[in-house]
Amino acid sequence: MRTLRHLAGLVDRLNDRIGAAIQWLVLLMVLVGAFNAVARYTTRYTGLALSSNAYLDLQWYFFTLIFLLGAAYGLNHDYHVRVDVLYEKMSARKRAWVDLIGTVLFLIPFSALMLWVSWRPVWNSWSIREASPDPGGLPRYPIKAVILVAFLLLLLQGLSHTLKQVDILRGSGDETDPDPGGAMGGGA
Amino acid sequence: MGALWGPVMFLGVLVLIFTGYPVAFALAGTALLFSVLGTLAGDFDLILFRALPERTFGVMSNYTLLAIPFFIFMGTVLEKSRLAEDLLETIGILFGRFRGGLALGVIGVGALLAAATGVVGASVTAMGLISMPVMLRNGYKDDLTLGVISASGTLGQIIPPSIVLIVLGDQMGVSVGALFQAAIVPGLILTGGYALYVVGVAIFNPEAAPAMAEARDVTGIALLRRVVVSLIPPLALILVVLGSIFAGVATPTEAGALGSVGAMALAAMGGQMTTAALRSAMQDTTRLTIMVIFLLIGSTIFTLVFRGLEGDLWIAEMLSNLPGGALGFLLVVNVIVFVLGFFIDFFEIAFIIVPLVVAPAQILGLDLTWLGIILAVNIQTSFLTPPFGVSLFYLRGVTPPEISTTRMYRGVLPFIAIQLVVLGGLIVWILR
Repeated sequence: MRTLRHLAGLVDRLNDRIGAAIQWLVLLMVLVGAFNAVARYTTRYTGLALSSNAYLDLQWYFFTLIFLLGAAYGLNHDYHVRVDVLYEKMSARKRAWVDLIGTVLFLIPFSALMLWVSWRPVWNSWSIREASPDPGGLPRYPIKAVILVAFLLLLLQGLSHTLKQVDILRGSGDETDPDPGGAMGGGA
Repeated sequence: MGALWGPVMFLGVLVLIFTGYPVAFALAGTALLFSVLGTLAGDFDLILFRALPERTFGVMSNYTLLAIPFFIFMGTVLEKSRLAEDLLETIGILFGRFRGGLALGVIGVGALLAAATGVVGASVTAMGLISMPVMLRNGYKDDLTLGVISASGTLGQIIPPSIVLIVLGDQMGVSVGALFQAAIVPGLILTGGYALYVVGVAIFNPEAAPAMAEARDVTGIALLRRVVVSLIPPLALILVVLGSIFAGVATPTEAGALGSVGAMALAAMGGQMTTAALRSAMQDTTRLTIMVIFLLIGSTIFTLVFRGLEGDLWIAEMLSNLPGGALGFLLVVNVIVFVLGFFIDFFEIAFIIVPLVVAPAQILGLDLTWLGIILAVNIQTSFLTPPFGVSLFYLRGVTPPEISTTRMYRGVLPFIAIQLVVLGGLIVWILR
């Protein structure tokens, strides 16, 4: 049990690191997006061809990294929205039951399914070094591989989450909820 | 069993979402559960799941969805740098000397901001971030505050250039320009209805919508200064963002990115673009983007299985055997779209339900442009209706935890009533 908890702690810290990193991608995405908007017009009216498919791809690559890699980090901090009409009235134990059953029956199988159906298309994309269909665009195979990374992280975070709920239900271990009340917790 | 899957799966997802488990995963989990049951009964083919990587990739590379984080970031920068608070307070000082004035300002700003985005998640979130602290601090009742904000935030669904209308035009084979034109009057009636309600509250229940005490102290040069410093720059930013979309100069995505940079520039000019504000804006944008887009991923999988089990055929069949002619058809379609709007993203409704509706509507002689407007107002109402309205989810995400969800539901009820009156009026209008 101690080893498991240690591993769960490692997963939490890994996803928190990722969460901290992807926040900076928001700023980069905005700057690239604004550059693309301006570049479209400089190309059209001044012939100054700043615009490039590489930058157009880059903005949605950042977008992808934020929401895909952030999914597990979001689970750790309860960012995913809930219908809390009944949940908010439940005791801590009942909430732990909901989270335990939901994670084991929904989240973990869902992550496993996504890994199962995605690995072959990603592998194919990787093996042919799939390029962008647009001239000058960024290669597609690394961003497709992010789907696998994301759902692997989500699966691991789901396991860590399961362990935490079990600990709550057994009344042992670390009782401190990182973010009580959760996704409803308001603006940062 | 085949014919039963649709309704059973519908009920199943209702029950599971109500447990309080995160909606994105409850949707995906329901889909998995029913795919297994369906396979055991021989009614579902697991091979359909092979579409999932491509669907996910479709979300990743969706240019329109990219507008969501941009507009969220623009909103959070305006909020965290306190520009938005200054803007609303200035509007509050202008109108706030009257009871209910602040709420009227929010409705006006809401119609403006919402029109700029047309993406319900982004506009409700931005409105909540901007308006809620100011209203609560000035003694507005929490239910009225939440009602005004969530309703104003959905106005962008109907006020042009709404993305909803563009997609509907595409799916129904109607000119988008005609839809925009038709939407203006209902949009203004809704805005006016909201405003009338707020005026009514201010008259009959004054302590729910108090006048700002400080508003009357600011007059003359001081007031003018506030208007020039706090009101005009952000208003100009919003109008330029909006205008560039209206004029077709920029796509909503481009306008969102430029608007974000513009918001940072305005904040920097006022010396308000601190590192703390920037970090906080980035953090909130990350959090909300994860939440919104994963919700979409969950609903994509749900839809895949729902269609795989022929839930969409179940709906089509119901529609084709209706008593009551055009009125019966309109009532049933509206109820279905309304209920679906709780669970399924607007785009799924547009792609699954709307094509099923077009042919019978034409046979019944209904004007497709107005049918589109009715569907848009309906979806907007659905987004606003507890307990599943997405607008409420997004607003919940930016509401302080000490305000209960029940208060939010109470606050939104009068606005739903206004929506239903307008919807009823539109149904009478199309049947004229």
